[in-house]
Amino acid sequence: MADQEKKVLGILAEFANPAELVKAAKEVRDHGYEKFDCHSPFPIHGMDEAMGLRQSPLGFIVFFMGFLGLLGGIALTYYVAVIAYPLVISGKPFFSFQAFVPVYFELTVLLSAFGAVFGMFHLNKMPQLFHNLFYSDKFAKATDDGFFVSLEGEDPKFDAAKAKKLFESLGASSIELIEGE
Amino acid sequence: MSTITKETDLKVHEDGELVEGNPTFASVTADISRAPEAGTPKLWFVAFGAALSLMGLGLTLIGYLFWEGTGIWGIQNPAGWGWAIINFVWWVGIGHAGTLISAILFLFRQRWRTAINRFAEAMTIFAVICALVFPGIHVGRVWVAYFMFPLPNQMGMWPNFRSPLLWDVFAVGTYFTVSLLFWYVGLIPDLATFRDRAKTKIKKAALAVFSLGWRGGNRQWQHYERAYLILAGLSTPLVLSVHSVVSFDFAVSLIPGWHTTIFPPYFVAGAIFSGFAMVMTLALIARKIYGLEHIITMRHLENMNKIMLLTGMMVGYAYSCEFFVAWYSGNLYEKAIFINRAIGPYAWAYWTMIFCNVVVPQIFWSRKMRRNIPVMFVASILINVGMWFERFVIVITSLSQDFLPSSWDYFSPTFFDVGIYLGTFGIFFTFFLLFLRFLPMVAIAEIKGVLPQADPHYYEHNGHH
Amino acid sequence: MNSSSLAEQFKLPESLKPGKIALIVGGAGLLLSAVGFFVDAKQFYHSYLAAFVFWTTIALGGLFFTMLHHLTGATWSVVLRRFSEAIMVILPVLAILFLPIIPGMHDLYHWTHEEAVAADHILQQKEPYLNIPFFLIRAVFYFGVWFLLARTLKKYSTQQDNAPEPSLTDKMRRFSAPGMLLFAVTLTYAAFDWLMSLNPHWYSTIFGVYIFSGSLLSVLAFILLAALYLRGKDVLQSVITLEHYHDLGKLLFGFTVFWAYIAFSQYMLIWYGNIPEETEFFLQRWEGSWKYVSMVIVFFHFALPFLILVTRAAKRNLALMKVMGFWFLIIHYVDIHWIVMPTLHTEGFSLSWIDFTTLIGIGGLFVWYFWKQFAQQATVPINDPKLQSSIQFTNA
Repeated sequence: MADQEKKVLGILAEFANPAELVKAAKEVRDHGYEKFDCHSPFPIHGMDEAMGLRQSPLGFIVFFMGFLGLLGGIALTYYVAVIAYPLVISGKPFFSFQAFVPVYFELTVLLSAFGAVFGMFHLNKMPQLFHNLFYSDKFAKATDDGFFVSLEGEDPKFDAAKAKKLFESLGASSIELIEGE
Repeated sequence: MSTITKETDLKVHEDGELVEGNPTFASVTADISRAPEAGTPKLWFVAFGAALSLMGLGLTLIGYLFWEGTGIWGIQNPAGWGWAIINFVWWVGIGHAGTLISAILFLFRQRWRTAINRFAEAMTIFAVICALVFPGIHVGRVWVAYFMFPLPNQMGMWPNFRSPLLWDVFAVGTYFTVSLLFWYVGLIPDLATFRDRAKTKIKKAALAVFSLGWRGGNRQWQHYERAYLILAGLSTPLVLSVHSVVSFDFAVSLIPGWHTTIFPPYFVAGAIFSGFAMVMTLALIARKIYGLEHIITMRHLENMNKIMLLTGMMVGYAYSCEFFVAWYSGNLYEKAIFINRAIGPYAWAYWTMIFCNVVVPQIFWSRKMRRNIPVMFVASILINVGMWFERFVIVITSLSQDFLPSSWDYFSPTFFDVGIYLGTFGIFFTFFLLFLRFLPMVAIAEIKGVLPQADPHYYEHNGHH
Repeated sequence: MNSSSLAEQFKLPESLKPGKIALIVGGAGLLLSAVGFFVDAKQFYHSYLAAFVFWTTIALGGLFFTMLHHLTGATWSVVLRRFSEAIMVILPVLAILFLPIIPGMHDLYHWTHEEAVAADHILQQKEPYLNIPFFLIRAVFYFGVWFLLARTLKKYSTQQDNAPEPSLTDKMRRFSAPGMLLFAVTLTYAAFDWLMSLNPHWYSTIFGVYIFSGSLLSVLAFILLAALYLRGKDVLQSVITLEHYHDLGKLLFGFTVFWAYIAFSQYMLIWYGNIPEETEFFLQRWEGSWKYVSMVIVFFHFALPFLILVTRAAKRNLALMKVMGFWFLIIHYVDIHWIVMPTLHTEGFSLSWIDFTTLIGIGGLFVWYFWKQFAQQATVPINDPKLQSSIQFTNA
């Protein structure tokens, strides 16, 4: 604010332990903030409810991809065994689906796994090599033993002073303004 | 309900700690990061040099194999399958424990798995790499190995989807890919931890790329945990399918001793059995060298021994079941092959297998033995020997003495069989040592998650510390 | 709080007598089955065998569930332990119900016909195993082992109710390890004897595992239904929570996949090998209308339940779970029926009224004895060290 070149991009508050963080998350949500996140070195039970997050839609992505894999497997084996290269093998029909089941299964699993991993990347906007939070000095602790609430400047209700007051009242052990270009 | 919960005065039954001592979140990070950050110990160079030379030997021999052809192996008529397939099945099997630990034990909420899963998953990937060497090189004309894949080509020729060998391509290929993804997803938060601890710019930049910008926000954890759960759910049937498909290589044929319906679950049990033995061998060494006794605790080792006892019994069950049904079937050839295994020219291999796989694990009925490190170390090695011999017995006895006695012959391996097999150990340990040196060998975020203070409820009962 | 008042608190209410009607229905079913015996003895024996095996596999599943619970030291299933314990102690009763099969052996098992054995050199080879005295000795052995396992585990469990001894938990765990081994062997050979030898030429090494997978599914379904019944009567409502039903749902889902895996392994290897003495089994079950039963099993034992139970919401929907409980019991019976009956009705699927009376007859006694055993003790193992955590358990 004071410095022309640096802008306030958000605010970061550290809390003592997972329980404090869950409590803080509830309060921040109840104050109507939307663009906030709670950072911890491991996932904390009950945090989704505290932050009011909806269930992850990843299951649908995976189901769709798995279905695609199954159909792809059926199409591939049918094309190869019936249309492109029909061969009579041990007197069985061209389309002996029994023998293709392992292939169907593996392709279903393979595409489902792609759905799970790349779907997760998509939902998490990964890879995102830079984020405003990396301007902070303290934030490195979030992957070690720090428990943080971050509030982004883009939040419609964002006001650095008000947010600071809120975090203070919640017992944050340290509060830092995220400043950058 | 609350009235009852208050009134009942129940002692909580403790099984022993998941992590010993009184670790804090920071001390867990520090402990696990120490080895990769501390620089390279001399012993590591010695081991790495040995592994690298062994790998060199293997690759040289493989090069010679490409030049000369598979005639340099001990395979002959009627045993057209030899060490290549034995080693393939053995290595794939070893990989299975990693997936079991990371996926199945995860689904069953066996939280003790956190100490060993990372490392077991790494073992899976490297073991599968070693396994994949063999189907790659055994075809003779390696330069047409791409025939194994359904690729459009100018000859209009397609692979035969009714061949179990093609199913292998799909099964093992999927298994490798999914295991790698699973492993990598598990590594992301830990790579971010390393990124945040990195001292040099280059290291930080590299780790920033590989950790994909992980911030540990709950909005990320939410999808991450879901993805992890789904991958575990997918890997569980996948791991069953892989060794089942490998067993189909044998079981769909009509060779006596191969064509039997118990093969799929029996192979899976054997794979988990040998995989746990390998995890045990490696874990005992790594925990000693890197001083991780308080993270890989006696409880973990004991649990692994129990699983080895269990899967050893399953394998024993399958041996006896096969033997009985071979007799019960009334089929002359089935009977003959099983009698031949027990008292024929390969009886020494058969009884080695029985001794190592069925007799040795019995020692783990005793709690004292389950907690005795030298005993479990020796047992784990013997089990892996036994499981190699299991595949040897299956492949060699059935092939070298099939329907026509006039074509029976005795199989002996050559220098090249042994050398290439040893070479895969070189490949395995080269990768494994690189992993130990540069990556977190225990899942940092997961270990933190199982500490008592990770649970928000902990603070309600105990107050603040 | 001492044990006796806790036991009082968790007692099944006196007003609930769920077993009584079952006993009457069961008695009536068995009486009608007896009539069936005079109408068509051969049909009676086959129907009886199918019904008997169906209920026995559920009881064996109860034994397995109890031992698995002890071995893994699981927390969530503590509140369900009394159910599986009350199921496994039915095995001795089933030993008595085995008796009617003995006079029926001639009608059931081709290998008991001396003239058939004399004309068949394969059956001659099998004679050291497939003969009446040894068959009976084995049956006595199986039931003896099951009796021993079930009684001993029940005894320790009762002891723990009276005295809060955590050491008994270890005792049960230690007992379960060799118990599991005996269980695996006896179940396998019982399946070989009672079912596989119906077609004495046919053999399949995986058959024991196949029967085991069905037995585990059906016991899960039975426990689910019993718990839901009590829930409807306001019993244990806050003890067996939605979380426990969710876990049962996950197990049902997982083991329906396991069943499919085992069933497909058996089918595919036999189909691929195409050896007459093996293929015979599936060929017969593709004959006439049996074909449709085979397809029903594929879809209703695997494909549909798989799709229905795949979501989290489904596993937490108790009304749906109730349907699935009945579903799995019914399809398990269809599976057993499909194994037993084609030896009698070779031309095609044919349902007899005796199938129903025997099923309900043995089932009535089964359910009656189950509730009788269940009411004898506290409805949860009150002194289990993990009871508290089990009640509070949640799916993360």
